[in-house]
Amino acid sequence: MRRREEIPYLTALMFVMNLSVVLFYAVVVFATTARICRSFTAYDFLSTVRQVPDKPWVMPTRSLISYGFLTLVSFAKYRGRLGGKYLSGFICVSEIALCFATVASLNFYYTGVALLVLSDLTHYIQNPRVRLGLMIPLSLLFALGRYEIASVFVARIPFGAYLNYYSPSVRGYLAGIESVLVSWNVLLFVYDMILLFTSQREENARISRLNLQLKEANQRLRKNAVELEHLTETRERNRLAREIHDTLGHTLTGIVMGTEAVSAIFDAAPEEAKRRIEIVHKTAQEGLEDVRRSIKALRPDALEKRSLEKALEELITNFHLTTSVDIDYQQDAGGLDFAGDEENTLYRIIQEGMTNSVRHGHATEIEIQITREGNLLTVRIRDNGLGCAELEEGFGLRHMEERLGLLGGSLAYGNRNDDSDDEQRGFYLIASLPVRGREGK
Amino acid sequence: MRRIWAGAALAAALLCAVFVGLSRRGGVTIRIGVYSGSYWQTPNGDCYQILDNAIRRFESTHERVKVEYVSGITTDSYSEWLSEQILSGTEPDLYFVLPEDFNLLVTCGALAKLDAFMDADAAFDASLYYEPSLRSGTFEGGQYALPHESVPTIMFVNKTLLERNGIPMPRNDWTWNDFYDICRRVTNVEARQFGAYDYTWLHALYSNGTSLFSEDGTACYLSDEKIRSAIQFVKSLRDLNGGYQVTARDFDLGNVAFRPFLFSEYRAYQPYPWRVKKYSGFQWDGISMPAGPHGDNVSELHTMLLGISARTRHEALAWKLCKLLSLDEEVQRELYADSSGISPLRAVQADAPDSDRLGLEAIDKIMSTAVSAPRFDGYEQALMMAENAVADEMALDITRGDGLTAAQREINVFLGKS
Repeated sequence: MRRREEIPYLTALMFVMNLSVVLFYAVVVFATTARICRSFTAYDFLSTVRQVPDKPWVMPTRSLISYGFLTLVSFAKYRGRLGGKYLSGFICVSEIALCFATVASLNFYYTGVALLVLSDLTHYIQNPRVRLGLMIPLSLLFALGRYEIASVFVARIPFGAYLNYYSPSVRGYLAGIESVLVSWNVLLFVYDMILLFTSQREENARISRLNLQLKEANQRLRKNAVELEHLTETRERNRLAREIHDTLGHTLTGIVMGTEAVSAIFDAAPEEAKRRIEIVHKTAQEGLEDVRRSIKALRPDALEKRSLEKALEELITNFHLTTSVDIDYQQDAGGLDFAGDEENTLYRIIQEGMTNSVRHGHATEIEIQITREGNLLTVRIRDNGLGCAELEEGFGLRHMEERLGLLGGSLAYGNRNDDSDDEQRGFYLIASLPVRGREGK
Repeated sequence: MRRIWAGAALAAALLCAVFVGLSRRGGVTIRIGVYSGSYWQTPNGDCYQILDNAIRRFESTHERVKVEYVSGITTDSYSEWLSEQILSGTEPDLYFVLPEDFNLLVTCGALAKLDAFMDADAAFDASLYYEPSLRSGTFEGGQYALPHESVPTIMFVNKTLLERNGIPMPRNDWTWNDFYDICRRVTNVEARQFGAYDYTWLHALYSNGTSLFSEDGTACYLSDEKIRSAIQFVKSLRDLNGGYQVTARDFDLGNVAFRPFLFSEYRAYQPYPWRVKKYSGFQWDGISMPAGPHGDNVSELHTMLLGISARTRHEALAWKLCKLLSLDEEVQRELYADSSGISPLRAVQADAPDSDRLGLEAIDKIMSTAVSAPRFDGYEQALMMAENAVADEMALDITRGDGLTAAQREINVFLGKS
């Protein structure tokens, strides 16, 4: 990146170099004309060149004015950071025109100005097609604008004719200065082009480096996703284990203990045993119910077959039919069409919430309300049950919290009468979930 | 920012207006390039008198026009001075063109083409000129200068020498045969007495009805039969001298019968006061050049020309002034009286003072038939090649050598290239 900053300095250097070349030709032609007139060799000069030269001040003024304007346009474009389709087009055209004017005003002795403009515009224009379009006229000017070719079409006095006025040694010095100036300019152009291409290669390298980093990040993300899946699975297993332990374990323990007691007192107190058996039976039935519920809760196919809306309606209808609890279901969130994980979470929260209300709060009425504000989906569940004095583990609340947390949501719950403006008994639960929409399903 | 630009533009426009206004108020100045003295190396009076009179007339008819010239430039340094002016970009709007500079100035592009002016100007009548004089200002078909004064070549005759040998003065319609005959009779190598000095194959060529180059300068006719016979004639004249190289001194001493000379010299030294200054040892007179078997009494014509700079900003005024100096009878009459050339205008020559014993008819004939050196690029070089070939031919003493054919081919190749 450091190299890129050098380019304007190099361009400025090229402008200075070209100015000295322009000055060299203008001064030599002007001064030589004056010397020829002073030394009474004007007639010989005219006889040799067989052309009327331009008036002596024409070359210096024309070349310096057109070169001056060229410099002005070029630097204005850097200083003013001029851009835009039409303005940059205008700048390119005027720079090429001024370049031609400069070359023509120097009698086509020197076409290196075309290289200067070429490098200047190559830095300015990034579009490769436009660059090519600029390169063609400027290369043509550089290659075909030479005196040897131009003099076929326009009669101009060769620079050599002016040099021939001098003695061989002076001529040698002047020709030396000329070739040094001209070749320096070419060298600067080559150096400038090398810098341009290196900086462009660096730029390309930087882009491919960034691409590589992006690819790596993508891979990491994919790995993380796999790990997350793993983790979710483990957590689900844990939940399953807890569920089994909490419900089935408890029930079976009760049954085992109950049946032991029954067998111990069966002979001594058959009436008591009978009563106990009934309790065991009841417990077993409850356990069976629990297992059924658990299995049902774990089965995800409810959602896979239909939309969340339908699934929830079915869930609520079934729940009402099996438990005969009155459920007031209000769906005010519009279409419920979310990503898969979001739908699952919502489904589970409502399912779990209702189960909890009946199981722990022994409620007979449940209100479920789904609302949406922007991207924030809120599920409110209230019942008229017992509420609870102390929240216990295993109610599934933690799972709800975990599920919501994974999706960036939150959960609030508590006894309804803890709240000042609600004097009803019962439990409430508010789940908030920012929804992303349906891209991941 | 925009206001500043507008202000700058306004200021520039104002400046331009002031500049234009000032330059208008000052009037127009026409500069004319002129040499001092006579180009024909003959004495004459106040060289600027005629020009001053013409300028005064021009300025009186053109208000706010001033005509300027630099005085004191001798004819020798005039070409160099003019070249310097052209290089410095300060050449006059209108200038005299020496005959030998015409080709260079035209090929350089220093002279403006006058055909458009001539066609547009109803007052310009080309038929007022002697055709050869006007043609001196043409180059490859275009008119680039108008004639100011013409001088043909004529033949000087040493009358004393002819009388001494009992030979009558030849007539103006004499031929090569008469010429050769007189030379043969006059020549006496022991007595250092000869027929002709400085009569070259080019003189012979013009009077043999041919020219060395085609009008447009694309072909050379060096091996043409007429040119061969001209060369042969000059060679036979030379052979009379028995190997002796006749010099100008021989002529001055009165020992040579003929010598081609410029008409100006004739006019300058023929009247009394000047007559004694030159060739006082013998009686002399001028006649036409002798006619060859295929030609007439044709001589070469030298013409002082007037051209307009191709870079002048006052072409119309320069053209008017040029026309005044070239085509105005009053100016030309004054010039004829003062200078020693022939006016390019027929009318002026027709009522010229009869001091010229050559005779009006003869002058009219000479002026109507005279030829000028061709006008094309590369003429000098081609002429030099031809002269070298002829010199070789004459030195080798081969009657019908193929050297000329080879040289002609070479010159044609050169002309084709240039």
